[in-house]
Amino acid sequence: MAGNSRSFRRTDLLFLSPWLATLLLFWLFPIIASFAVSLTDYQLLSGNFAYVGSENFRRLFADDVFLRAILNTVVFTVGTLPVTTACAILLALFLNANLPARRFFQSVYFFPSVVSLVVVALIFSSLYARGGYIQMLGELAGLSAPEHGFLFSQMTALPAIMAMDIWMSSGYYMLLFLAALQSIPRELYDAAALEGASWWQRFRIVTLPHLKPMLLFVVILNTIKSFQIFVEVFVMTKGGPLNSTMTIVYFVYEEGLHKFNIGYGAAAANLLFALIALIAWLELKLIRERTV
Amino acid sequence: MKPQPLKSTLRILIALVIAAVFVAPFVYMLIGSFSTAFTLTGTLDWSAITWTLTNYAFLFSQSQLYIPLLNSLLVAAVVTLGNLLFCTLAGYVLARREFRGQKLVMLSVILVLMIPAHVVIIPMYLLANWLGIFDTYLALILPFLVLPLGVFMMRQYISAIPADMEEAARIEGASEWTIIWRVVMPLCRPALAVLGVQVFLVNWNSFIYPFILTSSESMRTLPVALALLQGYQSINLPQLFAAATISALPTMVLFVLFSRRITEGIIAGALKG
Repeated sequence: MAGNSRSFRRTDLLFLSPWLATLLLFWLFPIIASFAVSLTDYQLLSGNFAYVGSENFRRLFADDVFLRAILNTVVFTVGTLPVTTACAILLALFLNANLPARRFFQSVYFFPSVVSLVVVALIFSSLYARGGYIQMLGELAGLSAPEHGFLFSQMTALPAIMAMDIWMSSGYYMLLFLAALQSIPRELYDAAALEGASWWQRFRIVTLPHLKPMLLFVVILNTIKSFQIFVEVFVMTKGGPLNSTMTIVYFVYEEGLHKFNIGYGAAAANLLFALIALIAWLELKLIRERTV
Repeated sequence: MKPQPLKSTLRILIALVIAAVFVAPFVYMLIGSFSTAFTLTGTLDWSAITWTLTNYAFLFSQSQLYIPLLNSLLVAAVVTLGNLLFCTLAGYVLARREFRGQKLVMLSVILVLMIPAHVVIIPMYLLANWLGIFDTYLALILPFLVLPLGVFMMRQYISAIPADMEEAARIEGASEWTIIWRVVMPLCRPALAVLGVQVFLVNWNSFIYPFILTSSESMRTLPVALALLQGYQSINLPQLFAAATISALPTMVLFVLFSRRITEGIIAGALKG
């Protein structure tokens, strides 16, 4: 056995077993169970349990609350993703252009994304309240705030959560873009500058192509995260007012673990899973085609 | 291409303004937690501000916040240590051995890494019930002891270091355990530091799983307690801000000490994952 370091040893199975056990028990099993349970009308409290086939899924598509949850989740994603990405790229470009004390500013901009979402949501609940600081800022700009604060108006609750999300996650994605920017060889810029390329031309010809792989990653990661929005809704609005901030994960929680309609909630979770997979695949395909 | 002094001053000013936007809400929380002077609508009454520790005193005397605080510390510490050991073990085997099904195991790590965690909250709840670990420390710890990101990071890191030292140890008759403990783990110190800080922070802040996997007050972690405190009639905004500050404090300390490790971890996860 000695000398052949690549062959499998008896201890190796032991070393792998914690991961294998986690994989089987806490990943594979829940995914399979989730699918199985979504085909039943399992209700934890009444103990109902019967195979109903695709009934739950048909019911979901006739459920106004669920449709509203899908709409809100899509609005949230489509609204935040481009803004967050643009802010992140701008911040990264700004920091990358040899700014003094760059490391310090980088840390400060990134800081909100290491703090617990619950903490951030609590602070913003207060900032968004009637008479709170956001309203005061709005009044300075000549805007009038909703009567009961931003989180208690159907018109402003979702946009308010979206704005907080953009504020919170821009620094996180900035960090990723900064890493991508720093891997671009300096000579490319020097060569472009030598040929008299303008700032915009340099950005288009040198920077953008190098940012593309990271852009693809950020867009997909951001979509997956956006589709899973839950904590903000739980802490700030509980899906209200009148379902205006109801999101898919909040719907899954409320149906499945609050009302204990396990089968119905699991069906919604599975649709979410399918939706995320579909969108990630589409984005991958779209951006790949554009890059080639 | 040296920046002019004026231009560079202007840029620093802009940088400071942006920094203020990112920091201001936390400053607001911090000031609020040390004062009692809040107007009815929830803004600080700057003219009547009085500095006090009563908000913090209340939390520990009346609301027993130390229970979730200790729970969070315990769970995050155990999960972090578990990941450091188990992810190294799995990463080592995946990096150094060739066996049937090895590619499949590696693929499972990457696939699982991409699965959105929130879609399995219901089966995780059922599983915890069936296993009889619902509302216990085991429910808060077991599912998170070996995170796919950690296995992936450790495999990548170990693949990149030469196997000479392990071979030398093996020739001298060291057991596989000794090799892991005495050779591999010390060589992996930088990666372990990055992974450790990352796992601790993610666990410290995590909300949804601790929330759905526990039900009693004595089992709550800090973020869960904080989110549920909000609904209490007896608590006011300065007290809530004091609790939020306590929850954010370890994050802030870790961030100041290890901000480079934290950013490295995120970038490593992104570039390789």
